[in-house]
Amino acid sequence: MLFWSEFKKIVVGIPYLLFIAVMVIDLNSQDALNFSNDSVIVPNQSVTQNYGIKNEEIPELIMPAALTSLYTEFCENQYRTYPIGFIKYVKLDYDKQQKIADILSKITGVRADEIYAAQDSSNNSDENTFVLDENTTTQPNNNGNFTISIDNNTKENSIANELQLTVREDISYTAFKDLMQTVDNILGGGSNYAPQSLIGYGHVPITYEEAVKQYELVKTYDQFTGGYARLFSDYAGVMALSILPVFLAVIMSMKDRRAKISELIYIRKTSSTKIIFVRFLAVIAAVMLPVILLSYLSNSSMWHLYSGMKLDYLAPLKYDLIWLMPSAMMVIAIGMFLTELTNTPIAVAVCGLWWFIDVNLGIKSVFASYSLLRLAPRHNAGTKSYFRTQDFLDNFPRLIANRLLFVGLSITLVLVTIIIYEAKRKGKFTWKK
Amino acid sequence: MDNTIEIQNLNKFYGRKQALCDVNLTIRQGMFGLLGRNGAGKTTLMRTLAALLQKRSGTITICKIPIENEKEIRKIIGYLPQDFSMYPSMNVMEAMDYLALLSGLEKQERKERTELLLQKVNLTEHRKKKIKALSGGMKRRLGIAQALLNNPKVLIVDEPTAGLDPEERIRFRNLLSEVAEERIVILSTHIVGDIEATCENIAILESGKVLYQGTVDNLLTAAEGKVFTKITNKTELPTLKKELFITSMHPQGKEISIRFLAENATTDAEACAPNIEDAYMFYLKKNGAELEVNGNAVLE
Repeated sequence: MLFWSEFKKIVVGIPYLLFIAVMVIDLNSQDALNFSNDSVIVPNQSVTQNYGIKNEEIPELIMPAALTSLYTEFCENQYRTYPIGFIKYVKLDYDKQQKIADILSKITGVRADEIYAAQDSSNNSDENTFVLDENTTTQPNNNGNFTISIDNNTKENSIANELQLTVREDISYTAFKDLMQTVDNILGGGSNYAPQSLIGYGHVPITYEEAVKQYELVKTYDQFTGGYARLFSDYAGVMALSILPVFLAVIMSMKDRRAKISELIYIRKTSSTKIIFVRFLAVIAAVMLPVILLSYLSNSSMWHLYSGMKLDYLAPLKYDLIWLMPSAMMVIAIGMFLTELTNTPIAVAVCGLWWFIDVNLGIKSVFASYSLLRLAPRHNAGTKSYFRTQDFLDNFPRLIANRLLFVGLSITLVLVTIIIYEAKRKGKFTWKK
Repeated sequence: MDNTIEIQNLNKFYGRKQALCDVNLTIRQGMFGLLGRNGAGKTTLMRTLAALLQKRSGTITICKIPIENEKEIRKIIGYLPQDFSMYPSMNVMEAMDYLALLSGLEKQERKERTELLLQKVNLTEHRKKKIKALSGGMKRRLGIAQALLNNPKVLIVDEPTAGLDPEERIRFRNLLSEVAEERIVILSTHIVGDIEATCENIAILESGKVLYQGTVDNLLTAAEGKVFTKITNKTELPTLKKELFITSMHPQGKEISIRFLAENATTDAEACAPNIEDAYMFYLKKNGAELEVNGNAVLE
């Protein structure tokens, strides 16, 4: 059978071993191969539990938190943005800083020149410099001021040179969003102040009731294994399957030329459609085989945590085929298409670039990112991402649309590859021998 | 099915360069030799016949199938390219099985055909050997075996003996003669000895044009009375090289016997029966080909 011959050609050799090795190293580096220390905790009202946080659009939470963030960045004159997905720190000139000061003034009622002076003072004094890191939290208190806690040494501190900044009581959330839109425009777009991103400031603790509901979904819909399979897919998609398969596709496509046997194959009876499709399927099979094995290795590592519970043992396979395979198909199709078209490994560079952009686009929206053109959909809130089944269900139609789009695109590219291959077979692209 | 290849007014260009110029040929069953110098257009013609290249104009029918019908042509063609190779990591059996698969043979047929052909080309005992471990001669024999997998009506063999040692070359020629009993075999070569040993019908190609098509006997007849031998002193050789079209030289002590082409006999020269190499050179010379036979290439 031609499929097995092509499959064997791919899997026998050092490139394939390297492919598997890199994939294992990548996934292992993200702890995606062993979830045995990562169990879902049953909500228990009788003991104090942290059920995590969620984001909600609550103006009373969002406005002071966004103000804190903006004023901090204003004082440092270093604004974090993601204009095309990549993180970019923006430094503003004097005029634009003045405009930010004006906006802060409109939000707080404090005069712009005072705010600007405080910023100057802040920049000139080490005592007033705050470094906000993971050990630092900001919480609005009842009077609208902020409590900044650093390394557990909590102290009441008005930000920057004793300047009290609070959101004016008479400012509406709509007006606030308009001002934030202006800030985003000044920063060049892609900031956390864009109205659609402001929800990121609305952190709300998950309640016991919500935790119970989440748990029930994990138990009934995901049957536990689904959540872990989702987390594995998140890592495997971004770390491996949206880039590594292109190497196998390019190597396979260049093999005939390198071995100087293209003409021996061109002369055969088998149609170009069959040759290219079988090769496409063979690379997909070669790519997906270790992925399926690794996904089960990863998933089975947590089965013992839920003994006696109903588990969906097919979950890894479902996620492998529906979530991961379309990414692999797309990358393989690009590899085959560009290699056949150019007789060069340029597809590696093209896919590498796409992967780089896609990964960086995913950084900002890693919690749940299923936009239509995302090569590697993201669903990752860290160690508890499996606990967000409802987010997944909410985004499921978009995920399916995304995956179907990539399946369609990859098949289209394969069809174009067949046309190119057939043309080459007939000597249409031959100028000189 | 009519086992004939008809080529009429075939023209082929690479960009602006004309590689084949109004080629007209009729090739029937048996061995057909395509003789020509490097760059004469032999490989282009072979690849065009194998439907691997597009022609600019003209018509080609192979066993009454137009060359444009690649799908049908591929079913009846066997091809051994000039630089035959296979995936180096495959062994002989795997390579044959893979190419048989692509030729559309079923499992049992693949097995039988592969065994038969490997036996025919004397490679049965090397069936497990990796391609990269085969000698040049073995590779060429494997090349013939793979070209015969689909039992083709037409076998196209491009420069198959280049680089082979004499023993392998003779073995290869015999093999070709054997398979030509039931099909058309087109043998392209610039080695005259290969043609002489195997072909009855030939064509001479030069700069993309057919200089001669016919039997080897007719080619020899045309050169009769144009080939002479002469024994001369070695010291006179430089002068003779300038005056005569020398095709071979054999040192005999202090003297040397030369063989040369000329329209008329010269003094001390003796007419002799032409061999195919003489006839080939005569045709090239007659048609104005630029030849440098008195250089080192021939003397070696």
